[in-house]
Amino acid sequence: MWQWFFRLGSPKWFYELSGRWLPWLYVAMTVLLSVGVIWALLFVPQDYQQGDTIRIMYVHVPVASISLACFPLMAVAGVITLVWKMKLADMVAMCAAPIGAWFTAVALATGAIWGQPIWGTWWAWDARLTSMLIQFFLLIGVIALRSAIESQDAAARACALLSIVGAINVPIIKYSVEWWNTLHQPASNFAMDNESPFGPEIWVPLVIMIFAVYLFFVISLILSTRNEILVRERRSQWVVDLIAAQKPQGA
Amino acid sequence: MFESMAFDSVSEFLQMGKYTFHVWSVYALFAVFLTVNLYLPLARRRQFIREQQRRALRDSQANQSPDGDDGRSDANGGSE
Amino acid sequence: MKPHRRKKLTIIAFIATGLGVAIGLSLYALSNSIDLFFTPTQVAAGEVMSGQRVRVGGMVKEGSVMRSEESLHVEFVATDYAHDVLIRYDGILPDLFREGQGVVVEGMVANGVFEASRVLAKHDENYMSVEVKAALDASGHSMPVQETEGAANGS
Repeated sequence: MWQWFFRLGSPKWFYELSGRWLPWLYVAMTVLLSVGVIWALLFVPQDYQQGDTIRIMYVHVPVASISLACFPLMAVAGVITLVWKMKLADMVAMCAAPIGAWFTAVALATGAIWGQPIWGTWWAWDARLTSMLIQFFLLIGVIALRSAIESQDAAARACALLSIVGAINVPIIKYSVEWWNTLHQPASNFAMDNESPFGPEIWVPLVIMIFAVYLFFVISLILSTRNEILVRERRSQWVVDLIAAQKPQGA
Repeated sequence: MFESMAFDSVSEFLQMGKYTFHVWSVYALFAVFLTVNLYLPLARRRQFIREQQRRALRDSQANQSPDGDDGRSDANGGSE
Repeated sequence: MKPHRRKKLTIIAFIATGLGVAIGLSLYALSNSIDLFFTPTQVAAGEVMSGQRVRVGGMVKEGSVMRSEESLHVEFVATDYAHDVLIRYDGILPDLFREGQGVVVEGMVANGVFEASRVLAKHDENYMSVEVKAALDASGHSMPVQETEGAANGS
């Protein structure tokens, strides 16, 4: 019953499978990203209040919402690491932390650039912004913890625990705009009916951008996990063979 | 939805209303973010493969007398 | 699942639930200080001390904005549709500031008037093109936000 689960945990299996998927993921991301960015920059109508700053939404919202996926992913990987000691789960968790930190930082920065003209301030200590900043520092904490502990197994366990604890912040970020009064507005409704003012000319490109940025997250996670696999498995025969088969990479 | 662009001219597009700096800096940041996060892992991979190839070459050349350098890299792995 | 794994999983579940409950309770207890601003109702109920630096949030009441001719001085009423707070401010208003729009003002209450040192605009979660907004206004399907420029376009 658990066989598939352990096969999934084999770094070699993951390396080969992801190698087959990567070209398709690249193509899908490039297409979606091009369509999304061109649509957002050229065809989305100016908002009746915000004018052209609405175009910032097409970067800010996808990046911010996908930054929230990072901690749950690391927490699940952490549970697998702690309970089943699966090496691959720890590699994924390790690679997800810096990527998540990037996403969180970009979400904060684009939000600040958006807030500056619209709210009149680039920062407010409201619940949404503060909890997002906490997520950034938690991710920096996970990365620091990893490099501070010498033993790889101990580092994996400590980071797994911190990730599980840190994941509690995610629902706080998500519902902060409903639980407390904040400067940040609540989440928008993607109503499909024509009654909603939030029409398809505004949400369709947003959905495209969300998928594009999701693919980008998955691709960069796969790329760095593959590197981590090569580094950790460098003395196993399949990696030695794989490196011997690569054409020489310059001097 | 494509019946009309939001802008009448290229200069209007580049201007982005009164938010030239805000809109373009966000998209510039986004471009940097994408490039860095796709380029860095690929560069790391190339560098790692280069290192390993060099090591393999050195090992095959000094096959008869394994030197201290090789031993260190193994000890490093063993302590993990 | 092997027993020692089941045990580990249970421990992790306990730690996570325990921490979750602890954090949830402390956030609930801290609720008031996590809120970014007081509502006009809270101000009317005397929750804000005179001379205490606070933030108050509400909607800019329709027709309440009075701008000075020669300076940046502006007065308006922030409301939550139950109570009102009169606000005085000298300074530059954010782009989104207009009647019917949410604001957060920072400052203190003095003699029953709120002297603001900073005014921030609160955006709502609706995005619309100018055309859609005009069409909505024309059909009387309006959102709570009344906007004179938009309505003029729609006729």
